[in-house]
Amino acid sequence: MTGKRVPLRGLWRLNQRIEQWRAIRAIKEALRVAYPFILVMTLIDVVGQGVLTKSGFFFQIYHVGSWLPGLEIWRQLFQVISLVINGIVAVMVAFTTGHYLARTYRGDALAVGVMSALAFLTLNVNYDALNVPMRGNGEDIPQFMENNLGPQGIFLAIVVGLLVGWFGCHLMNWLGKWALKHPHWGQLSWTSRVAWPLVVILTITVGIGYGLSWLNDGGLNGLVYQGLSAMVTNPGHRGLMILAVTAINNGLWWLGLIGPVSLAGNSSVTSLQNLAYAVQHGSGWNAPNPITLHTLGDAYANFGGAGMTLALLLAIWIGSKQASYRRVANQTFLPNLVNLNEPTLLGLPLLYNPLLLIPFIVAPAVNIVVAWCAITWKLVPPIVYPVPRTTPGPLIAYLGTGGDWRALLLSLVCLALSVAIYLPFVRLANLAGGDEHAA
Amino acid sequence: MRRNWWRWVVGVLVVLAIFFPSTAWMHQRITQYKSNYKTPLNPTIMVPGSSASQNRFDSLITQLRQETKVAHSVLKVKVAENGQLSYTGSIRRGDNQPFIVIAFENNRDGYENINKQARWLNVAFKDLVKTYHFNHFSALGHSNGGLILSLFLEKYFAQTPRVDIDRLMTIATPYNMESNSTTEQTAILKELIAGRRQLPKKLTVYSVAGTENYSSDGTVPANSVNQGKYVFQNQVAHYTQITVTGDNTTHSDLPQNRQIVLLIRQYLLQENLPAKERAQNQADTKRRSITGETGLP
Repeated sequence: MTGKRVPLRGLWRLNQRIEQWRAIRAIKEALRVAYPFILVMTLIDVVGQGVLTKSGFFFQIYHVGSWLPGLEIWRQLFQVISLVINGIVAVMVAFTTGHYLARTYRGDALAVGVMSALAFLTLNVNYDALNVPMRGNGEDIPQFMENNLGPQGIFLAIVVGLLVGWFGCHLMNWLGKWALKHPHWGQLSWTSRVAWPLVVILTITVGIGYGLSWLNDGGLNGLVYQGLSAMVTNPGHRGLMILAVTAINNGLWWLGLIGPVSLAGNSSVTSLQNLAYAVQHGSGWNAPNPITLHTLGDAYANFGGAGMTLALLLAIWIGSKQASYRRVANQTFLPNLVNLNEPTLLGLPLLYNPLLLIPFIVAPAVNIVVAWCAITWKLVPPIVYPVPRTTPGPLIAYLGTGGDWRALLLSLVCLALSVAIYLPFVRLANLAGGDEHAA
Repeated sequence: MRRNWWRWVVGVLVVLAIFFPSTAWMHQRITQYKSNYKTPLNPTIMVPGSSASQNRFDSLITQLRQETKVAHSVLKVKVAENGQLSYTGSIRRGDNQPFIVIAFENNRDGYENINKQARWLNVAFKDLVKTYHFNHFSALGHSNGGLILSLFLEKYFAQTPRVDIDRLMTIATPYNMESNSTTEQTAILKELIAGRRQLPKKLTVYSVAGTENYSSDGTVPANSVNQGKYVFQNQVAHYTQITVTGDNTTHSDLPQNRQIVLLIRQYLLQENLPAKERAQNQADTKRRSITGETGLP
């Protein structure tokens, strides 16, 4: 190690220390268990969203609609599978987090896991639905806030899993001791050792959930998302603001708050103004809104999804010696190509990984600065034409500018830059070679 | 080593298989955007009939402004015999529904003159498109103005392929000139019928007739207005005939007839009329049918 690597050394030691934390270990284990499920779901989504839906990238460029027979049936089949797994991924995470934490406390892991899954569900009950009588004609309001049970809910699931895991274990232990101290109450059976904590925990979470239902319609998760979205959705034209919003957004992804800002800029007012201009004038040069979250972030800082994960995969292929990293990179390359990076985030895992947090935030920020300069200096036009959400990252700018070669070049430069930013951190992770990550 | 070589080939092939179809798709989409795109500026072009000047629609416009509470700006164009254009008024910045009145120095009646006027309309129209960059509009023609517009759409409109016409309303337009006959076709009707294939397929046409008695508005025979169906029906997207009776239905009063002003607002400007006024319009139509007015065939 040369002297230059010293700060990275410090980071490595910090990483090692954090990895000793009980909570972090539980989270990592929970994500490791959830990973295969998410992977399967996402691979199905790649086909479903990219190839079968009307707005999918491959659907459009290969004109799938005109030659695939039984398109509607295919769509429905893929939708069903995707719904089942995607719909409850957060519940799974809540279960596994609680389960692993309880195991470290030598508690009753299965019971605590189920408890935290139930607690998570009670926080996401749709209280509006309870006031409406069941009609049974297919128009009922869903009983749960289904959005919150998918990847969106992973953060809350982790928090609930940790809290319930800790509290449930201690409550059960305390009950056991209490029963020993007071033998005249009789022997405490396993059933009541589980039942009483369950009642206590559900009472608390139902109380919280019910209280929140007075505040807003989306449950606890909805509250968090509402607050964040209000903060980050409209950064306007100012470059610094866009930079800050992207950095905050990526930080939130790292925490498991997936998707407060997504590639939805196609339909914002500024994008429509740009499109109108381009249609009238033939190109995006001098478009009225050259600097927006969409023209910078979506076009140049979102390859593979938040945090330029496509560059992370390339960096892993180039520089990682860890078999588990390489395996995850191979498995999740296809989803990353169409900007679905959840399996990468959970598989490495990138979430709650202090080593990868820095490039995860820095790489998109650097790209935004580069793209910002390039657009202000009129080296490339801003993207003006809408592109599908599943367009491979490096092609977004090229297609969005109507086929400008300079934009494609800038995309490749951005990709190379991001790989260069990820590479030292990926190499640093190689040091863990002898640890549990070894193949 | 051999395996690596294969991987590179496959990788390059995949990139090419994505890149070229997506480029083709992109070009296709951009043409699509260009053809679907509608400018916010959506003028209504008004053409007066014979012997009328560019001020012919002033009272109609005043009435429209009062009723719609929108200060539609007005641009008036007068085309000289040599094709020279003189403008009065202007399109206010930010006004996306302005009125443009196009009148002609030679505003005489007759087959030859109407054909000339259609050509002059084309001169003015091209200049307007070049100046204001709109790509869709609606048109209103009173009397022979409807003939001029119809001829223009058939003979000259194809010269500006990037502009679409949304709606055309003709008021008391004598498609068969002064002829009251339902069988004989005058020269202009023959010409319009011969060229009807050139009419835009997506056009919506409203032909409004006024009648003082059962056969005419005092100047134009109802039968002549009715002949419009041979031009438009089964050619444009929608063709609707409307007959208005009651007060103010002489030929020259029609553009400022209250009923017709409501029709213009409802159909041409596509306003959402307040329920009260819509009811009034409908009540009037009903009354008409109760009094035994023969509807148009």
